[in-house]
Amino acid sequence: MDVKTRKIVKRNSSKTEVTPFQIKDCALIVRISDQLPAINLRELRERVGNCSADSLYHHFCETVLRPSFDDPEFHNDFAIWARRALHDHVLAEKLEILDPYSFSDMEELRKEVIDILDDRLSETYYVPWALHDRAFYFHSATTVVFDTNITIDSPEKLCDAIAEMTTSSLYYHFWEARRRTPERRDDFTVWLKAWNDRGIPLIKAFSQIDFYFMSLRELQQRTCQVIREATGGGSVK
Amino acid sequence: MRSLQAYEPIVGPAVLHQLWQLADNLQGLKVVHVNSTRTGGGVAEILSWMIPFMNELGIDTSWEVVEGNAPFFAVTKMFHNGLQGNQVNLLHHHIESYEDTNRANAEKLRPVLEEADIVFIHDPQPAMLMHLCPNRRGKWIWRCHIDASRPYRPVWKYLRPFLETYDASIFSMSQFSRSLPHPQFLLAPSIDPLSDKNVNLPDEEIQATYKRFNLDPGRPVLTQVSRFDRFKDPLGVILGYQLVKKFSPVQLVLAGGGADDDPEGAEVLREVNEAAKDDPDIHVLLLPPDAHRTINALQSCADIIIQKSTKEGFGLTVTEGLWKGKPVLGGYVGGILLQVINHHTGFLVNSPEGLAQRVRYLLNHPEMIRTMGDKGREFVRENFLLTRHLREYLTLMTGLRRGFSSRLVVAA
Repeated sequence: MDVKTRKIVKRNSSKTEVTPFQIKDCALIVRISDQLPAINLRELRERVGNCSADSLYHHFCETVLRPSFDDPEFHNDFAIWARRALHDHVLAEKLEILDPYSFSDMEELRKEVIDILDDRLSETYYVPWALHDRAFYFHSATTVVFDTNITIDSPEKLCDAIAEMTTSSLYYHFWEARRRTPERRDDFTVWLKAWNDRGIPLIKAFSQIDFYFMSLRELQQRTCQVIREATGGGSVK
Repeated sequence: MRSLQAYEPIVGPAVLHQLWQLADNLQGLKVVHVNSTRTGGGVAEILSWMIPFMNELGIDTSWEVVEGNAPFFAVTKMFHNGLQGNQVNLLHHHIESYEDTNRANAEKLRPVLEEADIVFIHDPQPAMLMHLCPNRRGKWIWRCHIDASRPYRPVWKYLRPFLETYDASIFSMSQFSRSLPHPQFLLAPSIDPLSDKNVNLPDEEIQATYKRFNLDPGRPVLTQVSRFDRFKDPLGVILGYQLVKKFSPVQLVLAGGGADDDPEGAEVLREVNEAAKDDPDIHVLLLPPDAHRTINALQSCADIIIQKSTKEGFGLTVTEGLWKGKPVLGGYVGGILLQVINHHTGFLVNSPEGLAQRVRYLLNHPEMIRTMGDKGREFVRENFLLTRHLREYLTLMTGLRRGFSSRLVVAA
């Protein structure tokens, strides 16, 4: 299959000056970071203080792309490790509630994580340890971004396009966009702003999605659902 | 040979499109993979599909195999065991055999290796080749398929100088990795859903397999497919089976092939035959390395797949079992942890007793066998098919060419 022959989503639509939305896709390549693995809570606290912002981002935000069954209980690696390796339920809950997108940047998030870890260290009478084969490994990832050659040329076609996207496309435009764009919003919202009245109901709908605690499949379904609701029910073709 | 297009009905068009998009930036690249056998074992299986598909995507890819004699493979088996933590007696003549064989192979392979843009060296057998190619111009990557998390120190100390000069290394899981002075990437392996080993078989073929191996289709079948290797714990499987047999009329299949680079298999097979000799319901099958369809049929006949390893790299036989829609009872080790998710795709076990308890539980809950099987197949479809694996190799090669940062845009 020639990449250039991929179907371009362009149906008849009202003429507009707005640049069509370019659907991109991405793939991660994950590597082990230069931090040594942490085997106890004190080491975790020290490594969190020293690891790169990319590493923090990976353990909080890129987990959604990882092969696993939906695990609604925990969404970031620190909470998962606290629960499964240290068996510290209280710490796991305190870490789990952190929404990385509510912080202005990764450094603010880092401060909060360290604060929680310090609090927990001061509360416990011993330093919780993991078994030797359950150490916490710090990772980071490179996001390789590529074009799909698919465009969306009107807000009315957004629902169908999102329904057909790969989950990694959705991740790129919905999650990763918040790290990348100056507005710290998803790419759809930024694009819809240019459509003025035609975009406003969808922007409002998107803003109500509590996406961080969803899997990408759930997000895909939820996004289509809110678009349908915002546009009066049925399909928005 | 199949085209990538043949996978569209299984993975969907978007997944294939991703591969073409990524490969667009790698056209004409010269890539060489080197390992130690063309048949037998997971590495050879992966390379047998990866090489043609990379070529189809426009990447000039070749597969070279190091040649060696029995003493060489005895040493590399020692390395394998040593890296997985077994104490081995590494002597001077072992080192000599390893280095002489690598030198001989370097004489033959040097032109193609030095000319390549990217060289992937799989496992320790050919690891010394990089030192023997001083005029190399490309990036060299060491791909470690085994669990090197707690190696026997003398083996690691010997191999480490060869490995640390690589440009990068790849491990299946972070827990398998070692501290090395270069980037270390994480890539899970995968299976080919259209290969003889994994393609859907017609029912007549499955029924014929019961007959061929004297299996009773009316009684539950437990199957472990793997090399006859101590780390696969076939004797532990027999013990677990014997505990179940007191309550349920189960049958056990232990099927495996030898591999060219595994001289220890015959000894383990002898021990297994000895343990199984008085029970006609234990079927120990030594299959030729190309018996892929037979293995597929045996896995398809099974009610429950077992992979009770005590050490495991990734465990492709687990992936195969899940793809057949069977629950898997796997050892609590290595890559099995990534695939066997308790109560979803099977159960993790730590002992023959644990194995027996989970077998009995599943046999008493046949609906769980079905639902776990369905979930397992979908889990593999999403995560462990060759298209995902190929995508990650393409992504890695893109990064190697362009440099790694947090974001890399390859097509604007």
